[in-house]
Amino acid sequence: MTPLDSSAVHCTGIRKHFGEDDARVEVLRGVDYTVRRGELSFLVGPSGCGKTTLISVIAGLLETSSGEVSLFGNHLARMPHSDRVLFRRSHLGFVFQQYNLLQALTAAENAAIPLLAAGVRRREAVDRAAALLDRLGLGSRTAAYPRQLSGGQQQRVALARALVHEPRLIICDEPTAALDHATGEAVMELLASAAVHPDRAVLVVTHDSRVFRFADVIAHMDDGQITHVEPGRRTDAATHLGSSRLTNPSA
Amino acid sequence: MNWVGLQMLRNDRAKFAAMIVAVSLAVFLMQNQAAILATMLSMTAAQIRDVQDADLWVTEPEVECFDQVKAMRDIHLLRVRGIAGISWAAPLLKIDAIGHSEGGRLNTVTVLGIDDASLAGLPHRMRVGRADAIRELNTAIIDPGGHELFFPGEPFQEGRSLRIRDRRIRIMGISDIAAPFTGLPMLHTSRSTAAALNLGEQHMTSFILARSAPGNRPEALCQKINTLGGLRARTTEQFAADAMWFYGSQGVPMLFMITITIGLIVGAAITGQTFLMFIKENARPISMLKVVGTTDRQLGTMILLQGTVVLVLGSCFGSGIAAAVCNVIRTQPFLRSLYLPWEIALGTCLALASVTGIALYASYRHVRGLEPAAVFR
Repeated sequence: MTPLDSSAVHCTGIRKHFGEDDARVEVLRGVDYTVRRGELSFLVGPSGCGKTTLISVIAGLLETSSGEVSLFGNHLARMPHSDRVLFRRSHLGFVFQQYNLLQALTAAENAAIPLLAAGVRRREAVDRAAALLDRLGLGSRTAAYPRQLSGGQQQRVALARALVHEPRLIICDEPTAALDHATGEAVMELLASAAVHPDRAVLVVTHDSRVFRFADVIAHMDDGQITHVEPGRRTDAATHLGSSRLTNPSA
Repeated sequence: MNWVGLQMLRNDRAKFAAMIVAVSLAVFLMQNQAAILATMLSMTAAQIRDVQDADLWVTEPEVECFDQVKAMRDIHLLRVRGIAGISWAAPLLKIDAIGHSEGGRLNTVTVLGIDDASLAGLPHRMRVGRADAIRELNTAIIDPGGHELFFPGEPFQEGRSLRIRDRRIRIMGISDIAAPFTGLPMLHTSRSTAAALNLGEQHMTSFILARSAPGNRPEALCQKINTLGGLRARTTEQFAADAMWFYGSQGVPMLFMITITIGLIVGAAITGQTFLMFIKENARPISMLKVVGTTDRQLGTMILLQGTVVLVLGSCFGSGIAAAVCNVIRTQPFLRSLYLPWEIALGTCLALASVTGIALYASYRHVRGLEPAAVFR
């Protein structure tokens, strides 16, 4: 398998700027970055270094100014907009800092959104989402609305939403930033145990150093560039510990 | 995803309710005003359409509507009868006079004198009593509004009288005719009785009613009569249309149209603005939906469905209220002709939907322009 074959995300020479002339701001300055299949990769760095812009580019939500992004061998920039949306729907899952759950929907219905967007019948989609929530320790809260859930529980619903359609790449943007330490750890444990899979990659953007131990690889970013990449310290023991602790629904 | 859109709409109860109330009020206001206008215009032709046994009306050339009376000599009646293809022709005398009830009530009344022999132009439907009782001299039948005006709250009693120009006219029944545009009580009597009330003018008539013989087109007979000179013949529908056009061109419809337009603009503006606000306030969830792969087409359908639900519910409530108010008003004898044509109900809803559609389109454009990456900020 060549390095490209084994990569989930492969970025080469990514540049991105906003504005023109005097207002021009270079946010990404030639980023080369790879996330391999089966890897839980952290992208860390100070605020404003370009992390969010980079994951937006990787997800096909922003166009690059130059450079190429390949996801599992597919070049999103070369796809028509509609195909890019469908690719994202099928192959990508997202976890956001602010959960972004729809207040009008129950936990199971929120988790079912990617399936509903893909045209799966509502009953089937919600049943599949409820089963996943059960595995994530929220089996008793599937009918609860977001306002009835704690922050940790909401983030677990968001994680279920990211996993329910079995995507190949999960992108998490500061998933623990709005949570206290214990809850943040619990969510990371859940992410490590439930999301990591040999054919799937997980990319986590964070500046929460307390959760760095869950990473396989940590890429440091500063001023629009990857400054260095170091191996993380995730162990199977940590993963197993995580899965046992995740069933506490109050977290 | 349509279901998700409906849940989002339902969840924002304040805006959902505000939009439905705005649509309901706008639809009610437009339908109510349009119904009053339509009713008023139809009332200008009501006495013409109520005469069902004649299909031709002959008047002096200047006459434009039923309420314009210019007396014609009886000789014209003979000229019309002489036209080949005319089955019969009969006079209809219309006079206005002051009526006094036994209880001391006083009001101007419209007296219609019907040909004694043929009774052509006699109301076909009666609420109480027999129409042909007017063959007897100094008797009449009165319309429901007139009865309520002269004998308020009292049940009908045959033989009660009104004093008109020093003659005692006995009321023999209540007709079931449409309410007149003038709002005046309408008395149907024989031409003999009416002529006696007409200050001695015995050989005059206001209108000539005629019937075309089988096999003759009324329009062709009108042309024949018009060539006689000094007369103007129209079919019932032409005369009714002329009457409505005559009153319609007096400016009153414009006043109603202003109110209807205000209802349309205000209703659409409130609904559209609230809907746009609803979409803008949901920008983040919608961005999230775009991120997870919801297509613009799905979002467009979602917005269309949300807008349709608001418009349909609002239109149903508004139309229901308008119909209910209409039915309540119709219980008043002088307003008994008020009606809400389905064309008006449908037209006002479609007009509001069209204008609100602009807001829906603006909302869709806003959603299309939403930057999905904003959800990460």
